[in-house]
Amino acid sequence: MSEENVLFATEADVAAAAAKDAAAEAQTDKYLICISDQLLYGIDAEQVVEIITNHTITHLPRLPHYIRGIINLRGQLIPIIDMRMRMGGPAQGDRCIMVVNVENNMVGILVDGVERMADIPRGSILPMPTQNTEKLVSGMCSLADGKTMLILDCSLLLHG
Amino acid sequence: MGSGNDSILDMYLYETNTLLEQLDGILLAAEQADTFSQDSVNEIFRIMHTIKGSSAMMEFPSLMTVAHRIEDLFFIIREKTIDVVPNELRPELFDMLFQAVDFFRGEIEKIEQSEPLSDSIDSIVDKINSLIDKIQGNPAKDEDPAGAPAQATPAAEAPAALDPAYPFGILVFFDEGCGMENLRAFMVLNDVREVVPDLISYPENVDMDPSTAQRIVDEGYHLWFKTAQMRDSALAAAQNAGSVRSCQPVDAKADEPAPPAPQPAPAAAFAEEPAAPPAAAAPAAPAAAPKAATASAPQFKESLISVSLSKLDQLMAVVSEIVITESMVTASPDLKGLRLDNFNKSARELRKLTDDLQDVSMSLRMVPVSSTFQKMNRIVRDMSKKLGKRARLTLVGENTEVDKTIVDGISDPIMHIVRNSMDHGLEETEAERVAAGKDPVGEIILSARHTGSEVIIEIQDDGKGADCQAVLNKAIRQGLADPDQEYSQKEILNFMMMPGFSTNTAVTEFSGRGVGLDVVKKNVGEVGGTVSLFSEWGKGMKTTLKIPLTMAIMDGMEVSVGESIFTIPINNIRSSVKVTEADVIHDPARGEMVRLLDNFYPIIRARDIFQMDEGCDNIEDGILMWLEAGERSYCLFVDELLGEQQIVVKPLPSYVNSFNIKHYGINGCSILGDGSISIILDVANLYNAAQNSF
Repeated sequence: MSEENVLFATEADVAAAAAKDAAAEAQTDKYLICISDQLLYGIDAEQVVEIITNHTITHLPRLPHYIRGIINLRGQLIPIIDMRMRMGGPAQGDRCIMVVNVENNMVGILVDGVERMADIPRGSILPMPTQNTEKLVSGMCSLADGKTMLILDCSLLLHG
Repeated sequence: MGSGNDSILDMYLYETNTLLEQLDGILLAAEQADTFSQDSVNEIFRIMHTIKGSSAMMEFPSLMTVAHRIEDLFFIIREKTIDVVPNELRPELFDMLFQAVDFFRGEIEKIEQSEPLSDSIDSIVDKINSLIDKIQGNPAKDEDPAGAPAQATPAAEAPAALDPAYPFGILVFFDEGCGMENLRAFMVLNDVREVVPDLISYPENVDMDPSTAQRIVDEGYHLWFKTAQMRDSALAAAQNAGSVRSCQPVDAKADEPAPPAPQPAPAAAFAEEPAAPPAAAAPAAPAAAPKAATASAPQFKESLISVSLSKLDQLMAVVSEIVITESMVTASPDLKGLRLDNFNKSARELRKLTDDLQDVSMSLRMVPVSSTFQKMNRIVRDMSKKLGKRARLTLVGENTEVDKTIVDGISDPIMHIVRNSMDHGLEETEAERVAAGKDPVGEIILSARHTGSEVIIEIQDDGKGADCQAVLNKAIRQGLADPDQEYSQKEILNFMMMPGFSTNTAVTEFSGRGVGLDVVKKNVGEVGGTVSLFSEWGKGMKTTLKIPLTMAIMDGMEVSVGESIFTIPINNIRSSVKVTEADVIHDPARGEMVRLLDNFYPIIRARDIFQMDEGCDNIEDGILMWLEAGERSYCLFVDELLGEQQIVVKPLPSYVNSFNIKHYGINGCSILGDGSISIILDVANLYNAAQNSF
């Protein structure tokens, strides 16, 4: 009888712990952190398809200047948005492209470099105090190493 | 992806539509000949049976009922050949069948749009029933289509033995609708003879005289024997013969008081298949017969499968990737300067194979235009009945193959034009035609042919043609034309393709809603084609549709401007010319022109229109491409001519498209052999963009 009780308690404990874990997990999101013009941007890792370097960009005429052109990614044509130029900065040489899938549109974002992945607790994301960042950033948060990351909203990037 | 039910419904719709198309074709051919061949009767029977079966499975009772009644009707026709339908009934038969096809089409369409089906099938079912009755010459007839056993019973009642020496008989009936009953009887006779050689049979000469078949169907096949033992052993043999539905012993009246009809009790004792009430046997028989029919038919069909278009698109995409990757491998810079005899040999093989692969995968999307053309037969038939104009449709080159998407796109335009020809083109009365020295029967010729990368479809009628003056007057009245201006015949005819123009003052059921030719032009334009009209007053009208073979692949000329590569569709290029500074003529607005073949053409610099940083500035360094699209003709100044290439057109990513670069003459992209991207130019839009920017 007592044995059974113990067994029961253990199971309940395990279940409770698992639920706690799940709750904690649900509250963090994975972000891919990249650098553009000395700023850290976080992109929802769910949206990132792949990271590529050294791709020849074919220029398309008559587009806004921050659309650098299109690339051929295994037969798919993907437009490339230059993050620096989108934020109003100057162009720079070869960097790396993050291919993201936003609402079934494949778009490449040209950034200076990719840092790492990070789990960000949902609660730590704060709204932007100002609105001068071309309305592409949906929030910001502090990272463990004290740096600050801006959350890049890819659908705003596409429609903004 | 979709639920299982959906795919079954898809299959059902696809299959039924195909069958209806087939049925339409058979009916039209049959109506022309005013009779059905035995083959087409069988085919219609089979089609109806399939529709009945699948509709029942999908639980569309109205479709099933109608199909079932037609099946019954054709069951009779099949049994007794088409001669059973008297000549005066045939138009009614054909009309009923066409009506039924329309009914099926309508219902199928409703299913496609998930609308509720109509329940009012009584009128069409009544029509079929009354036709069945008339054919059977039996005005008050119950449902049972197989009157044979019913009529046979009295016949069996009095089979006085032909020869008193052979008093013991067997009466054999064959499966309903098995056909060639006389020969089957002969086979039974042979089988029985092996067991009991001494017998007489009635009707005689079954192997030689096909007319006995009908008698066997109606009255059964009689075999008479000397003794009861002989009969019993023969009975077993007869039962085992093919297609035998029932065989029962009968005795000559004199011997025993045999029951009036050889029904239940005594028969059941002998025949293992009970001679059953005929009514019960009847429904079973039609089910068995079609089985035989369907079993033989799929032999022709099994070599075809239907594949969804999206899978073919996927295949196309993968294949073009392979082609590109192949050339990336074989032309890899890492291989430069190496002597690789074996590698080169294998690479050549590979290239050949990938080329073949590409051709095959492209041909998969190609379908003949015949199905579209066949539909026109029906339209001409219906309209000629309605309008009382006799007309025939001649099809030329209906096996010409076009990309599937294009076939779908041109079906409506062709229908519009054919309707126009029937309604407005052909003279109102035959007297008018005769007076003009023409055949009283109007003719519409629908033709398709290939010319390189285009398909040309022509719809030609020998009617009265377009009255240019009337067209012009109307155009002026509609405010489309300027009354003070002179127009060429071509220009006047082009007014007919403007929105809101319709020459017929009265709106008819078929055309004249004022949405005719401009819709044609728009639809054809959507698949990248052009429409041109040609008409001679009193002689008829010809509409020509020029349509690219496929939208996915085209022949293009690669040109470069700075680092960028552009592709110009080869159809748009008249020629390329090198000019010197002296040849260029300037206008006051600093525009440039050049004189070619006694005409002046504007020069558009690709570098300027696309606001590019690189590229030739000096007109003598580059080359002029003399381009033409529709009515526009101009010269595009580019750096260099790179060569001709067949390319796979890829649409621009939708994100890029949202910036409206289509208006600057950028139509799409294509991936070149080395993996780089070229930009496909739309010659007409490029001109407009240039006009707007100056």
